[in-house]
Amino acid sequence: MTLQNMEAIVDPNLVHQWITAIGSDSSAVVPILQAIQRHYGYLPRKAMDLVVVHTGINASQLYGVATFYAQFRLKPVGRHMIKVCHGTACHVQGADRLNTSLRHALGISNPEHDTASNGSYTVENVACIGCCSLAPVMVIDGQAFPNVKGADAQRQLFKHARENNEILAGQDAENQ
Amino acid sequence: MSNTQWTITVGEGSCGIAAGAPEVTELLKKRFPDAQFKSVGCVGMCHREVMVETVNDQGKSYLWGNLTKKNLPKIIRFLRGDGALPTTLLIRSSEAPDCDGGHYLSRQTRIALRNVGQLNPTSMAQYLDRGGYEAIKKIIHSGMTPEAVIEEVKIAKIRGRGGAGFPTATKWGFARNAPGEVKYLVCNGDEGDPGAFMDRSLLEGDPHNVLEGMLIAAYAIGASKGYAYIRAEYPLAVKYFGQAIQDARQAGYLGHNILGSDLHFDIKIKEGAGAFVCGEETALMASIQGERGMPRIRPPFPAISGLFGKPTIINNVETLANLPWIIQNGGAAYASIGTEKSSGTKVFALAGAIARGGLVEVPMGVSIRHVLENIGGGSASNRPLKAVQLGGPSGGCIPERLFDTPIEYEAINATGAIMGSGGMVVMDSKSCMVDLARYFLEFTENESCGKCTFCRIGTLRMKEILTRICAGEGTMAEIDLLEELGRRIQTATLCGLGQTAANPVLTTIKYFRDEYIAHVQEKRCPGGVCKGLITHTIQNDKCSGCSICERYCPVKAITGTLKQPDTWVIDPKICINCGMCAEVCNPDAILAA
Repeated sequence: MTLQNMEAIVDPNLVHQWITAIGSDSSAVVPILQAIQRHYGYLPRKAMDLVVVHTGINASQLYGVATFYAQFRLKPVGRHMIKVCHGTACHVQGADRLNTSLRHALGISNPEHDTASNGSYTVENVACIGCCSLAPVMVIDGQAFPNVKGADAQRQLFKHARENNEILAGQDAENQ
Repeated sequence: MSNTQWTITVGEGSCGIAAGAPEVTELLKKRFPDAQFKSVGCVGMCHREVMVETVNDQGKSYLWGNLTKKNLPKIIRFLRGDGALPTTLLIRSSEAPDCDGGHYLSRQTRIALRNVGQLNPTSMAQYLDRGGYEAIKKIIHSGMTPEAVIEEVKIAKIRGRGGAGFPTATKWGFARNAPGEVKYLVCNGDEGDPGAFMDRSLLEGDPHNVLEGMLIAAYAIGASKGYAYIRAEYPLAVKYFGQAIQDARQAGYLGHNILGSDLHFDIKIKEGAGAFVCGEETALMASIQGERGMPRIRPPFPAISGLFGKPTIINNVETLANLPWIIQNGGAAYASIGTEKSSGTKVFALAGAIARGGLVEVPMGVSIRHVLENIGGGSASNRPLKAVQLGGPSGGCIPERLFDTPIEYEAINATGAIMGSGGMVVMDSKSCMVDLARYFLEFTENESCGKCTFCRIGTLRMKEILTRICAGEGTMAEIDLLEELGRRIQTATLCGLGQTAANPVLTTIKYFRDEYIAHVQEKRCPGGVCKGLITHTIQNDKCSGCSICERYCPVKAITGTLKQPDTWVIDPKICINCGMCAEVCNPDAILAA
């Protein structure tokens, strides 16, 4: 599976529902984008087009907001999302090593990429999730893992992959 | 002992849940099916999560910490009367309330945090039981005028807890006197400083207290509409605060004619979308209006023309959390705590190389050393503490020799750091101050909204220089250039982000110039952190030949024969100095220097 065909199939009815529920004036931009991303994991082009058509919000404002805030992404995501906290406490305790070991296990070597080529996992950095006394911390699909060193991160990833029938593409798969 | 009636309280804030509170609760429920279970917010002893308090029907209580599924049977056996007291898991008990673990709480003065960890954040009834909504009732039933409320807060001398320290009553006065039918009150819960989690704990652990604070502020300035701007990274805070709004509305504390008065006020939650600059008030308002979160020139100040052009007050979560206490106990009582110019208490989020990290609320005026040593328990390792970072990317590093500085706005500003919102990250001798400065500049460069040239380009140039220095490629002239750039960014930018962006660099150069010089002249990182300046080698006399390092090395730089310690080597040409090997090595045989 390549990254290209990970594009989500957008349901126009859903986008319509969100617009109706949230509103269509300019102050609705952020909540609408959040609703889209909550559902698809990112902001599909098709959904963005629908927002422009059905609200008074123009494309430049929509994309201006979408590219300003760190939360929003325009690229598709993997089936599971790993967030590595890079707050000060996590940084000082070696959060970088989590990225190294996770990306390695997932076989993501291109620094421009953040998703495994088989579409299994996306590794994203976040500013701070506010659990600083448990640093370093990572979050897989909403579940936080405290005090994870680089090696623990791999172990947790392997466990998660086993439980979710995901195959890891990295060279370290034999560690599973 | 089977007929003992237990009350079991589990700390289920974000950190408790992350540390495994749900599975501990599940197991306890199986073992004590008849016990009464309570869920509370984070008490703030994050270093001891998962925490559980067990109280029997005679009132005998034990507070347990560091619980896991594995060690839980020890306390279960003890509570059933057939096991020894597992002392390492005990924080305090009703017999020994002031034991070592108990100090952490007993040495604090909790006003903003008074209910956090004591009540179930989703239960409005419990908040009412602890005197909740009495402050707003006092205001309305005793006929206190908005001016009288502002006066009380003026007597309390409370200053905004978001970082800048502007007197709250003065700001309110501007908005009170500003003409306009519609006024807004915004709760700033966009706690963007990496390393700070005070607001998260308050919103998660005692949401009604923050909500009551908003009511008081709204009454004082005459606001009818409120927004709570909360970071998207805090899902539990959004959930609990949303629940609190619903419950308060149902009970008549929000909506029309609150408590039978002519006060109308309601609150909407706006989830942030991940932009540090949105902590700045004009950027935050732009964000609520659905725009890119970019600050604008002040004046007009938000108190005169803010959200949608209306008078707007933006108060920090912690400021709001103090208000109900101030109204109930009087401004004079609050002002009697702390110092002349910095009254009351301040909440800090203590993290990093400290033995006991977590939430700490202390009276202003105590020393940094008091917080680190008497409450935080000093260094987490045997290594000496080197510095403390206050105020995140806007703040600075205070070196160990200045740890006796009192915690008050002016004294901390004099060191070059700022009080900030309360992040306190502790560093020991194994941290690199240059790397830390680089880390913060990378952060601000990323978060700069791009409006002001000096911030947009200046932070980038500073980051580039710091990256070079960390790689051993910097020059002495560049250290001076950093200082010059820093001073220029401070003076030529519009908002707090730009004006303070250079602080982490300027303070580390001021106090740790020797570390910068070591990087530049000796090509050496004294903290052993900067990847370009260290090499990893295997000390074969310590090696056990177990091969675990080989398995975790992401670049296959390590080779050797199983169980033959002398054969193991790291190829420096392949090694990327990621440090994975050192981390997994059991006999600590890998040297990074």
